[in-house]
Amino acid sequence: MKKKLSAALAACMMLTMLLPLAGCGGQDERPVLRVYNWEDYISEPTQNADGSVEDDYVDLIAEFEEEYGVRVEYSTFGTNENMYNELQINPGAYDLVCPSDYMIMKMIAEDMVQPFSDEFLQDSNYAKYASPYIKDLFEENGWTEYAVAYMWGTMGYVYDPERVSGEELSSWTGLWKEENARVATIKDSVRDSYFLGVAYVYREELMRLKGEYESGELSPADYNAAVTKIMNRTDEETIDRTKESMIQLKQHLYGFEVDSGKQDMVTGKISINFAWSGDAVYTMDEAEPYIDEETGREVEGIYLNYVVPEECSNIWFDGWVMPKGANRELAEKFIDFLSRPENAVANMNYIGYTSAIAGDAVFEEMLDWYAEGEEGDTDEAGEPLVAYDLNYFFGGTGDGAYQDGEYVIYVSKESAHRQISAQFPTEEVLARSAIMQYFDNDTNAAVNEMWEEIKGLPIPGWAYIVIAAIAAGIVVIALTYVYKGKKREAKPKKGYRRVG
Amino acid sequence: MTRLHFSRKQLCIPYALFLVLFVAIPMLLILFYAFTDEVEGVLTFTFANFLNFFTSTAKLSTLLMSFTVAIISTALCLLIAYPVAYILARSRLRKKYVLLMLFILPMWINFVLRITALRELLDLIGLLGTENYLNTIIGMVYDFLPFMILPLYTTLEKLDNSYLEAASDLGAGPFTVFAKVTFPLSMPGVISGITMVFMPSMTNYVVSDTLSNFNITILGKLIDQYFTTYDNWHMGSMISIILLVIIFLTMLATGGFKDSEREARGANLW
Repeated sequence: MKKKLSAALAACMMLTMLLPLAGCGGQDERPVLRVYNWEDYISEPTQNADGSVEDDYVDLIAEFEEEYGVRVEYSTFGTNENMYNELQINPGAYDLVCPSDYMIMKMIAEDMVQPFSDEFLQDSNYAKYASPYIKDLFEENGWTEYAVAYMWGTMGYVYDPERVSGEELSSWTGLWKEENARVATIKDSVRDSYFLGVAYVYREELMRLKGEYESGELSPADYNAAVTKIMNRTDEETIDRTKESMIQLKQHLYGFEVDSGKQDMVTGKISINFAWSGDAVYTMDEAEPYIDEETGREVEGIYLNYVVPEECSNIWFDGWVMPKGANRELAEKFIDFLSRPENAVANMNYIGYTSAIAGDAVFEEMLDWYAEGEEGDTDEAGEPLVAYDLNYFFGGTGDGAYQDGEYVIYVSKESAHRQISAQFPTEEVLARSAIMQYFDNDTNAAVNEMWEEIKGLPIPGWAYIVIAAIAAGIVVIALTYVYKGKKREAKPKKGYRRVG
Repeated sequence: MTRLHFSRKQLCIPYALFLVLFVAIPMLLILFYAFTDEVEGVLTFTFANFLNFFTSTAKLSTLLMSFTVAIISTALCLLIAYPVAYILARSRLRKKYVLLMLFILPMWINFVLRITALRELLDLIGLLGTENYLNTIIGMVYDFLPFMILPLYTTLEKLDNSYLEAASDLGAGPFTVFAKVTFPLSMPGVISGITMVFMPSMTNYVVSDTLSNFNITILGKLIDQYFTTYDNWHMGSMISIILLVIIFLTMLATGGFKDSEREARGANLW
């Protein structure tokens, strides 16, 4: 009896330890959609500490659940690699995931994702409202069937024009300049740093291509293809040279960052941050002077700028894919829902990144955010406003409120270097923006090794002295120990007896 | 209805289960991962990870630098903590528990918060972003000082005054008393403190990441990188085992396993 009882106790303990609390709330009969997304990557209202919900942002998940009678199981990840591992361990656990470009390519190559239905691809809000630029990009690369874009952008430098020279930063080499020592951070990420290093190593070749493109020798498509080819070089020589230039840069930087770069820019700890355009928008918003609503006083701030260097940039995106075994019907409904322009606006308001969805509602929101007047107007200093042309992005997605060719925002000269330039790169920038391919296993190993060396080297000179001193200390202690030990073991003198 | 009665053996079951589930099995798994590798999708037994570690400049440099950082941090902790513990333990102050409390108090505040605050402070002084190693060492010392003070304090407090009096009676000056009597008798506390500071100093990468702006990689960070970024659990496990061996050897070298000293070591405190 006793034995049985303890066995039962033990079994109970095992169960409680091993099983998650299954069966809670099993009454819900609604179909379930399991979404796996980046943290903070969908519009949701702010939750207060007491559990109440504020009325600040649209609750997209709740709206979707209500409209379609579906229950959404929403979980989040922090890195593409974590997401990938989770899918490896739990295949079939999610209906819809949102990895970045290179991870999508890897998943397609490894046959992990299933295609969208023809119906969805031809007749859905995504088909109707997604920007033609994004759709072309997906078509060219052969992802159309397997992935739909969610958010996208470029990479560049956010900088404080009062403290560093914007001219120098219009080249990736700006970070290596002596004047910019100890004022810049870059991403603590293998892929982003590799991109920066490669751009630095091949800067001359890239500038030569740019010259050929500007003189008309190269068509935009050929120019982009050539840049993409260079930026995706992973041969041994490229990796070695990148490593050297990055180790050189490392000793000269303020540091690497995972998430602190934005805040450090705002507080003025640093003056340059190598950033994704979406984060750049957030940083510039945070740093700006603003009027405190309660006191009515202006709070001091700085106007930061964003620049995509002349050599090249990286065009990145995050997109939705359906892992094998996903509930396609529900997943497509969810994307269709998110692709309504008004929901894209809600997401852009909350996340701050640029949605791949165009449409009149999005354009109107952008006018509201950025427009400082109409054609022919002047800014405060009397300078004429500049036309910021977004037809490449919005063209063909309108519902009739705007004609193609009318998607232009008029902004002051200063503003053209601020948020809007990060939110929507110009066509000229896009011509030199390359997609970064995923690394195959061998390349991945080589690049990781490079990163390890960048992060682990060099050993500072003083360390050798310390190590030598420690080694000497150990030897001295060991020697005295041995010496004393010998002495102690010496035979006792005649007439004495060892006690104990 | 029989009265519930547990034998000693049965009362051990929860602990035994805990040991098996959270100590033995994970250790075996780490060992398994460390000495295997995935070759074309098949797990094969290999020493490659071991060899790789000791032939890679980056890994050896990381090992060397975390060792150096840990030793300097430990030495500084000892230098600062010994006088503090000595004064606290030997003084006849009535309020000395309050003083001791002041040293222990920061431990009750979340350490990530303390390190973030320290980052701002270092920025104010102007060290942040320039003196990465110094910052990391400052952070480690700040963070682990209480772990050095406490064991030292407990051993020094228990020190029998009659030994010191006897030494003085036999003609030893204050310095000789300290060098020949007080310090040797406090060795158990010193060793306990060293092990308690040295180990986390090699692995606590929140400190090094935050205060060096991710410029310094210590062994703990390297392990984390292998599990999360490089997605190579085999190498990550191998580094964990190498770290384990290093710590084991340090304990052995400092005599941390000596049975006779266990009681005096202030182990009862922890």
